[in-house]
Amino acid sequence: MIALEKLASRAGSFTLHDVTITLPRGAWGIVLGPAGAGKTTMLETIAGIRAATSGRVMLRGVDVTSHSPEARRVGMVYQHGYLFPHLTVEDNVAYGADPKAAREMAERFGADAFAGRSVTSLSGGERQIIALARALAPAPDILLLDEPFAALDTRRRVRVRAELRRLQRERGMTVLHVTHDFVEAGTLGDLAMVLDGGRLSQVGTPDAIFRRPASGAVADFLGAENVYSGRIARAASDDDIATLTFFGDGLTLVGVGDHPGGAGHAVVRGEDVVLARQHPSPSCARNVLEGRIIEVAPNGVLARVTIAVGTSTLVAIVTQESATTLGLAAGAPVVASIKATAVHLC
Amino acid sequence: MIARSTHRFATVGVVGGALLLLALLALPVGVLVIRGGVEGLRQLGGDPELRASLALTAVTATAATLVTILLGTPLAYLLARDRMPLGSFVGALVELPLLIPHPVAGIALLLAFGRASPAGEALARFGLGIVGSPLGISLAMLFVAAPLYVSAARESIARVDRRYEDVARTLGDSPWRAVRRVTLPLAGRGLFAAAIVMWARAVSEFGAIVILTYNPKVASVLSYDRFTAFGLDSALPVAAVLVLLAIVPLLVLRSLRANTGAIERAT
Repeated sequence: MIALEKLASRAGSFTLHDVTITLPRGAWGIVLGPAGAGKTTMLETIAGIRAATSGRVMLRGVDVTSHSPEARRVGMVYQHGYLFPHLTVEDNVAYGADPKAAREMAERFGADAFAGRSVTSLSGGERQIIALARALAPAPDILLLDEPFAALDTRRRVRVRAELRRLQRERGMTVLHVTHDFVEAGTLGDLAMVLDGGRLSQVGTPDAIFRRPASGAVADFLGAENVYSGRIARAASDDDIATLTFFGDGLTLVGVGDHPGGAGHAVVRGEDVVLARQHPSPSCARNVLEGRIIEVAPNGVLARVTIAVGTSTLVAIVTQESATTLGLAAGAPVVASIKATAVHLC
Repeated sequence: MIARSTHRFATVGVVGGALLLLALLALPVGVLVIRGGVEGLRQLGGDPELRASLALTAVTATAATLVTILLGTPLAYLLARDRMPLGSFVGALVELPLLIPHPVAGIALLLAFGRASPAGEALARFGLGIVGSPLGISLAMLFVAAPLYVSAARESIARVDRRYEDVARTLGDSPWRAVRRVTLPLAGRGLFAAAIVMWARAVSEFGAIVILTYNPKVASVLSYDRFTAFGLDSALPVAAVLVLLAIVPLLVLRSLRANTGAIERAT
């Protein structure tokens, strides 16, 4: 288990503020956030590499805030691997473990294929595999990963990720994983958190964070195609959940949610926008917007359609097949429908 | 047209200036080796005083260097990792001897460790004196040359990313074990180069040594002694041998720098 209680620490002029999270034993936590958000600082503070300026770090239910890194028994993998260049590949993997455990871990992740090679001759991805095997060889029950798969090619990334997931389940390992890969976050994470400017912006399941970001900044960072800022009016309701109307960026959108009203953001994911060439028959969609297509950008089997709606733009993600069937092309008029439940107001 | 002639004038000026400086550096050394080199090497076989003097120089310089490695490496580490209280002040203090005229350094050492000083009295009780002894020679060498070792060692350690140590700590190493297993091997070539620079500087020291210990004579003092007592021709062979010996650490340094550069590029 990893629990942080109002944890603060400093890295040069950067400060990590009051981070409080609990990651249960055996859970896989994902840390998201833009560059310079404090993700690495947080991992280093948990590992004991960086001292906490206030707050507490609890590992396995024990307060380890004042413990040294070696006493915390936490595995740590940096994006750049930091393989020891004066040692062989085998000696790197066996650095903190007995040779038998190191051999087993090297074989499990395919690092044994690089045996005998100089560390300095390895590619970035190969270094990451060895760094991972090195961190796992001492069998830590807590693993901190700082973008450990960033340099791996797709095939290797999938294989290594799957193997690590298997190992994590076998050992009941608690993992805290910094990544910029949203697919990785969605497939691996039991819990996700977003850091921004050294503060925790949101904690929840990856699905909840992606579907209902806590702020416009979080939505923007998470790659939501449509983020608008403006004012939110709340309809009278005795319930927490009420009908909300968003006015801003030249758009009026109806949504539902627990926003108290006032300044806020509207977030609409591109895949929740339904397009038609003519006004559709009456439906349950509360938002029907007329516009004109600015661009249709193919992206694999999908197409990203950018539409001018009033003074604003709306992005819809449709399949290539739909785009062809509907004859979507730049300059064509189009009608976009969005259900109120797909408009997230925050 | 004017721009082209200005460019040509500037080029001639830069190249001419560089050649002039090279001549100023190389000419005296070249002339010395040409005039005294062969005789100096010949005398090595038949001049016991010269051989004893060279041996004394090598032993005392090596002793000063070893002591500095032992005491200076931890200091360099603390300075490199910003773990020394008042680090900037301590760093400046370490480099201060480089700025003091060397005879003045000798006088300062005499005041601090001479027979009349409390430290000198304490050393004398153990039969150790710094005046007129190899110990004094080593002390003078250490005082003037150790700053070179500490500064170069500090830079060399600072070039090793501290995250290597951090990773070693997460793999179970204590701070000292991480330094011993990771930082020192990675900084090793730089530390060795620093030691060579210090040793070469110690070998060439004259000003501080001559104040503390005229006899027994190290090679630089012997060269001076023969110059003042017997003239230029007598001093030449000794001086030329010292110059030839200085080429050895120079070559070692060049080779180390080439290898260190290759390793740094690779990491």
